[in-house]
Amino acid sequence: MKRLWSSAIEHISVEKLWILFTVGPVIALLLAIGFIPMGYAIWLSFHSKDPFMPTVDFVGLKNYITLFTNPKFLASLGRSLQYTTVSVAFQTLIGLGIALLFVRPFRGKLLARTVVFLPYLIPTAVVGLIFSWLLSTQYGVVNQLLRQLGLIRFPITFFDGLKSAMYSVIGAGSWKFGMFCTLMFIARLQAIPKNLYEVAQVSGAGAFQCFLDVTLPHLKSTLLLIVLLRGIWMFNKFDMLWILTKGGPLRVTETLPIFSYRIAFEERSFGLAAAASVVILLILVIFATLYFWYFKPSKEVEVE
Amino acid sequence: MMRRRLKAIGIYVGIIFVVLVMGFPLYWMVKTSVEPPTSLFSPPYSYIPRTFSGENYRLLLFETYFLTFLKNSVIVAFFCTLISVIVSTLAGYGLTRFEFPGKKLIARGTLFSYMFPPLMLGIPLYIIFDRLGLRNTYVGLILAHASIGIPLGTWIMWQYFQIVPKSLEEAAWVSGASRMRTLREVVLPIATPGIITVSTFAFAFSWNDYTYAKIFQDDITMFTVTTGINSFVERTAVHWGLIQAGATLITIPTLIIIVFLQRQLLESMAVGGLK
Repeated sequence: MKRLWSSAIEHISVEKLWILFTVGPVIALLLAIGFIPMGYAIWLSFHSKDPFMPTVDFVGLKNYITLFTNPKFLASLGRSLQYTTVSVAFQTLIGLGIALLFVRPFRGKLLARTVVFLPYLIPTAVVGLIFSWLLSTQYGVVNQLLRQLGLIRFPITFFDGLKSAMYSVIGAGSWKFGMFCTLMFIARLQAIPKNLYEVAQVSGAGAFQCFLDVTLPHLKSTLLLIVLLRGIWMFNKFDMLWILTKGGPLRVTETLPIFSYRIAFEERSFGLAAAASVVILLILVIFATLYFWYFKPSKEVEVE
Repeated sequence: MMRRRLKAIGIYVGIIFVVLVMGFPLYWMVKTSVEPPTSLFSPPYSYIPRTFSGENYRLLLFETYFLTFLKNSVIVAFFCTLISVIVSTLAGYGLTRFEFPGKKLIARGTLFSYMFPPLMLGIPLYIIFDRLGLRNTYVGLILAHASIGIPLGTWIMWQYFQIVPKSLEEAAWVSGASRMRTLREVVLPIATPGIITVSTFAFAFSWNDYTYAKIFQDDITMFTVTTGINSFVERTAVHWGLIQAGATLITIPTLIIIVFLQRQLLESMAVGGLK
């Protein structure tokens, strides 16, 4: 009896050691480089931390009040919403269009698909540099082509114009990120049973009616997933905008991430910048809650 | 019959149009990089390269810090991949093979940390790294990149190990192998496809990152390829030939990934995807 117990205890502790060995590192690292810094940022948002002041003082909600009474912050919040919604809508539409074109078999499919998927995996920094060159007002080949075709007389100021800059950064981003939507849509479209289309055709439905009655209902959850994920990622987007315009000209492309970067690393007001990033987080929490509520992703792994 | 043929032609025209629009920016990047630098100052440009020159590449490799950037990126991406693979494989194994409370919390925690705004992590990590002397080091950047690679990797491996049957391991135990030996000789070989997916994503994330490298590294000898070639733009005269040559070289690993892993990548798209 005694021996049985001691072996049971030994067994339990060996199992516990294994749990520690396998799951310990991921928990430790996620805390150290994820949740603790995030907690620190939240703590910082209630304090003043400036470059020339060695002390960190508790200031309560002062940073938040400063932010929400700052017209530049409110304007960047508005631009973030505009950038996110227009980007997501545009990316979803071109993503769906290209997916519908490419889902059927055709000659040269592999090559065509590779060309289309490539932009999605190219570093965003490279995408930014390609488009700065392609759409340059003075040296850009797109302006040259449009002029040779007689479509314009004066070059378009893509990234330098106050009105065009926002749409240009959205367009350049969609060249890359729209392909994420294409990939997701193609994966879903291939899974729709073929006989559903046959049934619809037999009952006399045209191509458009087939799309409305068969394709669209099957794409519903993919559509929502894309809108949520892309919404979260475009709302966070920093690199693309920073490389293309640095928030300019005259702040017309300064979204919330660009605004917080400026406050943190140019003005060095870390408390204020932390408060701005907490606002970003709060908006994302709304997105994330929707995601968890609708998709219940923790069901994909067995937690019980 | 006529209508069907018209429709087929329409689809082909559409496909060709899409391929042209998607491919042209890439074509223009490569085309610019292989032309003599001087031809860029005399528009209008021809649409097909007339003269070829390796001058942009020679300048890039021997007259700039590009090789240093490349070395930095390779080191950071390699260790980010290594850490992400080891940590998430262990986690995936532990989470599917042992019973303990708090799994739901871990599942939500990993998914949630995958959605963190990069700047929200960047600002506090900058202050912490500054205090610890980790700015302008490999360790700091590797850790920052792993903060994305690990949650995504854990998620993928968690799902992957659920499919791997436990019966194989049990058979090995019965024949007297220890858990460690079973892990090494039975579990890891079966987990290889999952490991390939995780390493691809971790590598691609680290290789593509601009934001963290921009925040943590301000010493030019510690720049990565992405922040490095962008520093060429910030100089007074923008040398587009040089920049497009750099952009082309950075794209090559991506191309290799696509060619060799297209199928695997397509399958794992539904799990996460790059940001």
